[in-house]
Amino acid sequence: MKITKIIVATAMLAGVAMPALADYPERPIELTIPAGAGGGTDTSARKLALLLEEKLGTSIAVLNVGGGGGSVGASQFMQVRPDGYSLFATWNSPLTTVPQVQDVAYGLDSFTPIASTSETAYTLCVHPDFPAATGEEFLAELAANPDKYTYGNDGIGGTMQLAAERIFQARGIKAIAIPFGGAGETLQNFLGKHVDIYGGSISPVLPYVEAKEAKCLLVTSAAAVPALPQAAGLESLGLGDKETLLWRAILGPKGLDQAIVDKLADVIEEAVNDPSYVEFLASKGEVPNVVKGSDLGARLQAEFDALAIVSRNLGLGK
Amino acid sequence: MDFFTNAVLAVMTAGPLAAMLGSTLLGVLIGALPGLNPVMAIALLLPLTYSMDPLVALAMVAGIYNGSMYGGAIPAILLRIPGTPASIATTFDGFPMADRGEASKALKIACWSSAIGGIASALALMTIGPVLARVTLFFGPAEYFWIAMFGMASVGVMVGSDPVKGVMAAALGLLIGTMGIDSLSGQARFTFGQTWLLGGLDLIVVLVGLYALPPVLQLAEKCDLKGLSASELKLAGVPFAPGEIRRLVPTWLRSSLVGIAVGILPGAGGNIAAFLSYNAAKNASDDPDSFGKGNPQGVAAAECGNNADNAASMIPALTLGIPGNVVAALVLSALMIHGLQPGPQLFHQNPVLVGGFMIEMLLTSVLIFLVGGAAATRVFAQIQRLPGVLLVPAILVLMCVGVYVINGRPVDLWVMLAAGTAGYFLEKLNVPLAPIILGMILGPMAEQSVRRALLLSRGDPLELLTRPISATLAIATLGMILWPLVKAFRRRRG
Repeated sequence: MKITKIIVATAMLAGVAMPALADYPERPIELTIPAGAGGGTDTSARKLALLLEEKLGTSIAVLNVGGGGGSVGASQFMQVRPDGYSLFATWNSPLTTVPQVQDVAYGLDSFTPIASTSETAYTLCVHPDFPAATGEEFLAELAANPDKYTYGNDGIGGTMQLAAERIFQARGIKAIAIPFGGAGETLQNFLGKHVDIYGGSISPVLPYVEAKEAKCLLVTSAAAVPALPQAAGLESLGLGDKETLLWRAILGPKGLDQAIVDKLADVIEEAVNDPSYVEFLASKGEVPNVVKGSDLGARLQAEFDALAIVSRNLGLGK
Repeated sequence: MDFFTNAVLAVMTAGPLAAMLGSTLLGVLIGALPGLNPVMAIALLLPLTYSMDPLVALAMVAGIYNGSMYGGAIPAILLRIPGTPASIATTFDGFPMADRGEASKALKIACWSSAIGGIASALALMTIGPVLARVTLFFGPAEYFWIAMFGMASVGVMVGSDPVKGVMAAALGLLIGTMGIDSLSGQARFTFGQTWLLGGLDLIVVLVGLYALPPVLQLAEKCDLKGLSASELKLAGVPFAPGEIRRLVPTWLRSSLVGIAVGILPGAGGNIAAFLSYNAAKNASDDPDSFGKGNPQGVAAAECGNNADNAASMIPALTLGIPGNVVAALVLSALMIHGLQPGPQLFHQNPVLVGGFMIEMLLTSVLIFLVGGAAATRVFAQIQRLPGVLLVPAILVLMCVGVYVINGRPVDLWVMLAAGTAGYFLEKLNVPLAPIILGMILGPMAEQSVRRALLLSRGDPLELLTRPISATLAIATLGMILWPLVKAFRRRRG
């Protein structure tokens, strides 16, 4: 029985894998997004899927599986067959942050990295009357007043919180984290002055910077961000190694054929650098960033290890 | 004024007009089929429109959104199966009316009420939207906690003849609401090591099971092999009796206000709007006992309330860039794909598009009169003529399809079956089902808000009461609980 299964499996692998290299893809691809429809990851992935459909010559069906900060979708996806017809479009948090706090069934080795697509920094913003005008003054004010200021973030143990805490821990800062359901909710509570500091992605808060209702003093990338001239990059504060970004990638399940990975990575690189996609990313404050194959795996592992230390220090670790 | 003239001219072209008519019809259909819901339909359709004229895409959103809120009333009235979560309150009086042979009257009232609620809401969006949006910013976690408590207090109206059973049902809903990842601590609760439970139980899955299966089983129990004949259906015109419209006007006004108020607050939704409107109508009535037994005012209140939520829910999204629900988030993402930056400048960035979308929300509400009155009601009411042997399997298949496509996983079908079986026996035991759903919606909202509020106040519970808006809401909640008691007491003495 067992032997028959192995023979059948081998035959299937040979039968599927060999022609697959030449003809892939020959039927529609299902793209799982571990977030609800309408969010940042969803919009980016759907826009990219339109370009990929054109370049691959097949249709792409999007399946939104939200919940658990992305872990529900990731867990469901790890069970698919590695035939190249099931792909996973995610942001970094479900892979590198969520496993630090949740008991998830998957690890980084449950996936085959294909290519990252884009990235953006998080930002920390305050109201115009906050007693600081630069990133350095901002951190000094926080350090001088432990537990006085509250900052809204995208959820406990989420990448945004860890991004902020990495900086705070380096400077001995204690601020009170208030977890919200997403950047929109954080923004609402920030504008209503229920929290002192907005912590989240750049694009929702951008119009309020222009309207002088928010003052963004810090970004979590090493370099400064052109859209937020007042915000300091971490390099200028001597914290360049504490960079934490929000980035997006497309992965396959474990055991995906290397030839398919290479083909997809090249097509994704082409699609991401399509002028229409670059323009779309710019409107959301994101920039293209394509890291392919095993280099992507190394990037995931490095981020996972760095965030493990932060969350252990926060007492969030499992 | 230029703002709207330009927008009207842009909308009054073949593309958007055709899209509005088609999508309102489609929306009614989606709303009418249990399991299929507008959020899913818009999420599926919107990406297909990325390459189209954005006004056509937004016309489809407006049509599906408004149409489905009315469509949900059709099975709610005819079969006691709410087509969407927002039409639960419609079953309370809609089905008893249909049972009395007044199905087409109930459908007509639902149609009028939906259209009027939608129109009122669209007018609010077009005129005072930006002002209202600023008001929502005063609502922090403490205020949201009291809104949830206020909603919970309205359970009192739904508990029916046996308050203890009603409270038990609400507690069950609260417990179900605690399942899944706790968003404040990141810990998994009551998931029993099951990955699919990390997101908690899906509201729509539980709703379809709980609300659709018991009526279907009851239909099956009847062993109906013939169905109604055309003459028994009584579909012929049912004009409003003289004075009837006048009596509905106060309810429409009240429900429109409630729906708009609920709509502008991110996080609530059409179901809460419908429940609160129903509650308000019942409290204002001289004869509250007639509610739940086929009072047309109940249908009018619920349907007007849930449609009044729609356009208003777009207010924070369009004016502040803060999406209050999934449909608003989808609209924002569609605008971003077309190169617009959501936020306060949106109106200036592309006035024709934003104004056009508002006009489309208005016109699709007006279309409900046409589509609902002339076509949909007549067509859909025909399902009452189907014999049970055909109707029962047909609804079961639709339920399964609808539930499966939500997350694409078979386990949801088992959840639906379990919820439905539980609902069947709970109904036999006279336990009301509405408080379960209300608990599932409001429980997590109340819990997360109160914990955030306490984090902000450094653990001081007094701050829940000392802020002006939260104090007002707390008093209103207390009033909501005491008012029916006071009324009953006075009637007993009088």
